[in-house]
Amino acid sequence: MSEPLVNIVDLHLSLVGGAGEVNILRGVNLSITKGETVSVLGPSGAGKTTLLMALSGLEKPTSGQVQVAGVDLTTIDEDGLARFRREHVGIVFQSFHLIPTMTALENVSLPLEFSGCKNPEEQAEEALTKAGLSDRIDHFPGELSGGEQQRVALARAFVVKPALLLADEPTGNLDRETGQIVMNLLFDLQQEHGTTLVLVTHDEILASRCERSVRMIDGCLREENGAGS
Amino acid sequence: MNSTSTITQAIRLVRRELRGGLRGFGVFLTCLFLGVFAISAIGSFTESAKAGLLADASALLGGDLEIRLAHRELPTEGISFLTDQGQLSHVATMRTMVVDIENDKRVLAELKAVDSSYPLYGKITSTPQLNIHNELDSRDELGALVEAPMLSRLDKKVGDKVKVGNAEFRIKGIITTEPDRTVRAFNLGPRFMISLEGLEATGLIQPGSLIYHAYRLRLPNRETVDQLKAEMQARFPEAGWRVRSWREAAPRVTFFLDRMNLNMTLIGLCSLLVGGLGVSGAVRGYLDGKITHIATMKCLGAPGKLIFTAYLLQILFLGLLGSTAGLAAGATLPYVLKQLIGTHLPVPMTPGIHWQVLVVAALFGLLIALIFSLKSLGLARLVSPSVLFRGYSESGNRNPGTAVKVSIIISAMILAALAILTSSDQRLAFWFISGASLCFVIFRFASTTVVKLTHLIPKPTNPSLRLGLGNIHRRGSPAGSALFSLGLGLTALVTVMLVQANLDDKINETVPNEAPSFFFLDLQSDQVESFEETARNLPGLTKLERYPTLRGRITAIAGKPVTMAKVAKEVRWAVRGDRFLSYAKEKAPDIKVVAGEWWPKDYAGDPLVSITADLAKGFGVGIGDTLTINVLGRDVTATISSLRDVDWSTLNLNFALLFSPGVLETAPQTNIASIHVPAELEETAFAAITKQFPNVSVISTRELLKNVSQTLERIGTAFRSMAGLAVLIGFLVLAGAVSADQHRRIHDAVIFKVCGATRFDILGAFAAEFLFLGLIAGGISAIVGSLAAMGILKGLMKIPFTLHPGTIITTILTGIALTVFLGLVGTWRALGHKPASYLRDVN
Repeated sequence: MSEPLVNIVDLHLSLVGGAGEVNILRGVNLSITKGETVSVLGPSGAGKTTLLMALSGLEKPTSGQVQVAGVDLTTIDEDGLARFRREHVGIVFQSFHLIPTMTALENVSLPLEFSGCKNPEEQAEEALTKAGLSDRIDHFPGELSGGEQQRVALARAFVVKPALLLADEPTGNLDRETGQIVMNLLFDLQQEHGTTLVLVTHDEILASRCERSVRMIDGCLREENGAGS
Repeated sequence: MNSTSTITQAIRLVRRELRGGLRGFGVFLTCLFLGVFAISAIGSFTESAKAGLLADASALLGGDLEIRLAHRELPTEGISFLTDQGQLSHVATMRTMVVDIENDKRVLAELKAVDSSYPLYGKITSTPQLNIHNELDSRDELGALVEAPMLSRLDKKVGDKVKVGNAEFRIKGIITTEPDRTVRAFNLGPRFMISLEGLEATGLIQPGSLIYHAYRLRLPNRETVDQLKAEMQARFPEAGWRVRSWREAAPRVTFFLDRMNLNMTLIGLCSLLVGGLGVSGAVRGYLDGKITHIATMKCLGAPGKLIFTAYLLQILFLGLLGSTAGLAAGATLPYVLKQLIGTHLPVPMTPGIHWQVLVVAALFGLLIALIFSLKSLGLARLVSPSVLFRGYSESGNRNPGTAVKVSIIISAMILAALAILTSSDQRLAFWFISGASLCFVIFRFASTTVVKLTHLIPKPTNPSLRLGLGNIHRRGSPAGSALFSLGLGLTALVTVMLVQANLDDKINETVPNEAPSFFFLDLQSDQVESFEETARNLPGLTKLERYPTLRGRITAIAGKPVTMAKVAKEVRWAVRGDRFLSYAKEKAPDIKVVAGEWWPKDYAGDPLVSITADLAKGFGVGIGDTLTINVLGRDVTATISSLRDVDWSTLNLNFALLFSPGVLETAPQTNIASIHVPAELEETAFAAITKQFPNVSVISTRELLKNVSQTLERIGTAFRSMAGLAVLIGFLVLAGAVSADQHRRIHDAVIFKVCGATRFDILGAFAAEFLFLGLIAGGISAIVGSLAAMGILKGLMKIPFTLHPGTIITTILTGIALTVFLGLVGTWRALGHKPASYLRDVN
């Protein structure tokens, strides 16, 4: 069996809020092999997004281990995590999170620029063309529809050819038809690049497109099909 | 919805909006506060000072009425007339040398001899406190009161003896208050006060001595002074004396106060204009944050007119708030100053609330708030409800509508008209407003163009520089307004610094090259020959000039009495009071005749006069016209035979009016002379002349110019402070722009981190952005500020302009450093924001 790309061991994550300490993740264990597609289901507030944050290095666990592509994310500082993300991780959000004052081309170029790429616009344009947006490269997010914005976000996530793609409710703000188009593109790109995919969704039909499903309930992870805690 | 219900509804909306507090309006309120404070403070200070001058008018003048004569005393008839009207006091003033008896050291002094009635108003105070008349004129010896600098210059103390002319005086005390000591920009020497008997004993009173006699009258009812003045003029029409009432106590001071008030108010208005950008930025930021709110209201049926009215009322209310705070602080300033440093102020102060000043300042504040808010209000009115259905709000400029544009223009014209009509020099105010408006347009154009041109700069490979440069021309970037505000503030500072530096140059460069080393006053006619012989024997002498001098007053121009003649503003000084006159047989080598002919050496015909070309232009006269001058009570009418060009800045001896020989020789007169010796031989020359001619007053040009330079420095400080205020407001505007941009920067910083940017990458991008902005603003303000300074110096003051790269660079670098610092402080928050919590909140 090949080395897992993602290995989470006994992950705990607590946050201190106004009402006191809240245990969001309680001893999560998860192993994902390279190229695997995994959906994370669960009700609102279960900790799905927090799990994604921990996987991307955007949130620091209280205890436990998070290994991605052989790197233990809990041992790296903030800048190290940023460098790690730009090379290994792509993220797609429900609210797209594009820079509104940058064109589609500039948005997609961003991770390439941070990694010191010499011709970021060229690669960005290629990524946008693959996403079917070759005629929208100079448009600002405010001039694009929701589906187009999410496709730009996908292009930005995939332009660095990440080992791991994290998608947090990518069709949450889209209608069914547009969501379908976006998800088709997501899976096409995933297959093209052999990217490992972790997809957070509450849509069971969408989840069924993944090879494997896990379910978050009250900060604990349970396999729907396959091994898990 | 009719107008009344629109306003009622709008007021209801405003009250709900203001329930959220004044958050987001910090910069708006501060900019208005500072700008209105500056204008109201300057105006309140000036009016309080003028009120103080008026309240102390009689004390300042020395009486309710003053009759002033040069060279001669009041005739008996005049004295009797005045004595019948009220209490009379006689004071004589002149410049003279005070000598240290022990080592012959000499100091120029402003001598004042007083009678036993002095002062008619106010009190002389001294250290120790004395009965001055007992001390000045005791039976045993003559006494004197002096100002402190006299003691330090002669290295003497109270109780020591000094000599003036032929008489010795014991220094009895140090003057601390002299009620009628005219407020002047600078004095040629410290005060030396003696009695009239003491003056007699000095032997300095010679025919033609440059001595001024002032006769002050204290009336039973000072309101009758105008009537008395008219009666005197009717009774003594040819007297040739100058009469002033208490209403005209300190005309030069009042003139100076008005001038300072005008100039500083105009700079204050500039500051307020810069503050307008802060207002604009704050309102834009606030309304941008309300777009969803406005779109929702429109979805629910609110018309654009209601939206506009509601937010307009809110802006006006906040404008009133900021302006009122500024007014309160400005109005309070004279009280505070009087309390804290009252005794050290150069003018008396009677603090009061000057409503006209405050109303004008308030109107300025409100108009600024209106002008700089209208565009954003107009755009708010046009917000489309469809914004609710998009992921992002619309960015980029949109047209606020013709009505709004016209309103802005009309409001701006009202502001300009108010500034011009309320100023004491409307012409200057007009040019200043025009110049400021031009600067505004230039900066608007320059900042927009430069921002667009950054597109053309090749994209750096370094991600921070690339992002930083990109941020400047990105949509919605505050770069434009930052360049505008910072650039205008820096331009004001560069202009003031360059004008000051060039004025300093002018003063400093003239001393070694062209100006005489010394001027000698009160040289008697019978001393001329021996003086010239002594001077010619001075080691190192390169030039000696001497002219006879008298005092006279122009009473008619081309046959018309001067009160009815049309005299240009720039030469009005020539008809205000007595002027120095002279006469000459031969044309001195440096006299430059530009029209007409100089008279022959042996001329003995009708009186001729040579006047300066600018005087002729100002009087509207030419060759062949006549001037009538009253010299010691006698009218002399002379024909203008030539016009001269005179460069007064060289300080070489010259006169605006030079008569032909045979006209004034028999009149009482003294002589004025000047010598040029190398700096290292000045002390020798001084000692030689003063020893042989103790009655002659000596003015050192070096000391004189040092005095002028110090005064200009003090005035310059006041102007630099005002320009500094403009820069401060510029930084506030920048801070406001950065602050309003916080949300965008936080969002951008989070996304950058998600995409793999380190904190250094992000910090570098923001630093690069502000460094670019500072460099661009600095570059533009260096050019515009230099051009403005050149315009002021060459155009207005007729002084050569030199670029001072050091001054410009220092000013600009300071501006850049502060910009980067401000920018980074403002973005530190963005940098420290945790991406996860931000993303969680947004999702």
